[in-house]
Amino acid sequence: MSLIRLENISKIYKTGKVDFPALKEISFSIDKGEFLSIAGPSGSGKTTILNIIGCLDKPSDGTLFLNDTDISSKKSNELANIRRYNIGFIFQTFNLIPILTAFENVEFPLILKGNMKQKDRELLVEEILTEVGLKDFMYRKPSEMSGGQQQRVAIARALIKQPQMILADEPTANLDSKNGKEILQLMLQMNKRTNTTFIFSTHDRMVMDFALRIITLKDGHIHRDDKRR
Amino acid sequence: MFTLLKLAFRNVFRAKKRTIITFSSVSVGLGLLIISICLMNGLDKQSISNIIHSQTSHLKLFKTGYFDKKDEIPLNKTIQNPEQYYAKIKEHPKVKEVESRILFGASLIKGMDELPCLGVACEPESDPKILNIKDSLVAGTWIDSKKSGMVIGADMADDIDLKVGDNVTIRIITSSKGEDLTWNALDMEIVGLFNSGNPAVDSNRIIVPLKFAQEAISIGNEVTEIVVCLTNDNEDTLEETKTWLGKIFKNTDEKIEVYSWKDLASTFLAISKTKTKSSAIIIMIMLFIASIGIINTMLMAVLERTREIGMLMALGMKKREIMNLFVFEGAFIGIFGSLLGCLLGGLVGWYLEVKGWSISAFGETYEKIAQAAYPIKDVFYGDLTFNVLLTTFIFGVVISVIASLYPARKATKLNPIEALRHI
Repeated sequence: MSLIRLENISKIYKTGKVDFPALKEISFSIDKGEFLSIAGPSGSGKTTILNIIGCLDKPSDGTLFLNDTDISSKKSNELANIRRYNIGFIFQTFNLIPILTAFENVEFPLILKGNMKQKDRELLVEEILTEVGLKDFMYRKPSEMSGGQQQRVAIARALIKQPQMILADEPTANLDSKNGKEILQLMLQMNKRTNTTFIFSTHDRMVMDFALRIITLKDGHIHRDDKRR
Repeated sequence: MFTLLKLAFRNVFRAKKRTIITFSSVSVGLGLLIISICLMNGLDKQSISNIIHSQTSHLKLFKTGYFDKKDEIPLNKTIQNPEQYYAKIKEHPKVKEVESRILFGASLIKGMDELPCLGVACEPESDPKILNIKDSLVAGTWIDSKKSGMVIGADMADDIDLKVGDNVTIRIITSSKGEDLTWNALDMEIVGLFNSGNPAVDSNRIIVPLKFAQEAISIGNEVTEIVVCLTNDNEDTLEETKTWLGKIFKNTDEKIEVYSWKDLASTFLAISKTKTKSSAIIIMIMLFIASIGIINTMLMAVLERTREIGMLMALGMKKREIMNLFVFEGAFIGIFGSLLGCLLGGLVGWYLEVKGWSISAFGETYEKIAQAAYPIKDVFYGDLTFNVLLTTFIFGVVISVIASLYPARKATKLNPIEALRHI
């Protein structure tokens, strides 16, 4: 059973009277625990695919399955619930809540998820922040941290709720190459340890090299689907 | 819920300068609201107190038909032997004192000066238990039922330069049927001057002993009114006693009607009602401006935090939760702004209640306008109650929450993808 299955997914953006097809009848599936990169040049549809898989957007046509359940026509509140429990996000620009500390940012998804005692929650947050190397930065606000540190917080925030998959849209685009590599190594390490599926978009060769599977898009179609060992 | 509250609380203080400006608009609006209510309540309270305690007392009994003609001060609609009713009236436990009076039209003449005025003939022993005229004497002594003599308002004395000990001529209008006016002129000594604080009383009233007036007008033992003073100014007491007296006098041979101070001061009450309505409109405009400030602040927050809202949606926050977050922020602005407004209004209100405000500070013209509308002179005092502060506080918070609904709804309408792309 695949974790995600896309069947003939199309997405058309309407800009005034002109229709712009971003995805054209795309089909593929992703298994649990994959470390997958969606690659391709700018405008090829990478972000659109991530948005649809991440339940932030709905396809214009086609069917999206999560754990073999069709979620293409779910309502916005149902999609919010799927995001809350099953999906973690890592953004290019980190997108942490500026008024909260690193600790509070990471704790936030757990609070949204609910059903956990405060003490257990705090232990879990401390544990994961230590794991991403931010033990000494827990009580700093994002403005007091470097880009690399902020992205580590974002990874911890995405991982803490133990989602089925983590989606990362160009996670290293705002980092220098050293920090970018460290972040990818951290993601890979987490993928191996927790068996969480990681799907990230990129057009950077170095980032693609980390992926165990690369789906390359071109003009809204799948151009290549390469698996590595 | 607690996390949303915590987040909302911190968000309020993100843009400190803007928040301070919003707090200020809310607090100044509410502060002015409290001060206005404090002044209006104070004016009403002081006016009503002056009307009751220096002018009308609580209830008056007139011969049927007198009330409709009262502006003509008729002397042909009188109550005979009023003392016969005293015992019956005093049976009501809330009745404190009863006296009979005659109101008559008069002129005060000194040399070439003649000043029209209202003559009040009262019982010198009972009147001080009902009205505050004796207590407000600023010169001389109170009238004596055995001696000829009168007390007059200090303002009136100033107008034609009179003082205690002066002998003046009073021209008493004894009948005014049709165009035929009859009068009686008498010389009398001014024994005292009073300053009751009620300009309508102090500027045109002369007070003489009842027996003296009955002789001068030649109406025997008749009076134009019986004045009833109650144990308190409470409205329920007033209405209940009025109804009770109405029933008593319905069955008497002499047709007598009962009127409360409210019936006698209907013009003042009408002005007060109009003033309350117009003040409410001004206050609503002020609060509308304050709420525009809140809407503006919240819309700015939605715009500035668009990407963050997108991120919160991506984390799985539902539209209702996003809405709550912004409504909580509005509520916090309301709570802090209202607290500050209540503090500001409360302090000024407290000052107005304790120290008062001199009417003359606004200039002579305003003083005259104010005195025409209100039976108050010199200093007026505010009246601030905890209820006013509490109601204003709640009102401020509710207005703020309502003002935040539109921006909050706007936030929930954001598309998460577009929001995440927002720069």
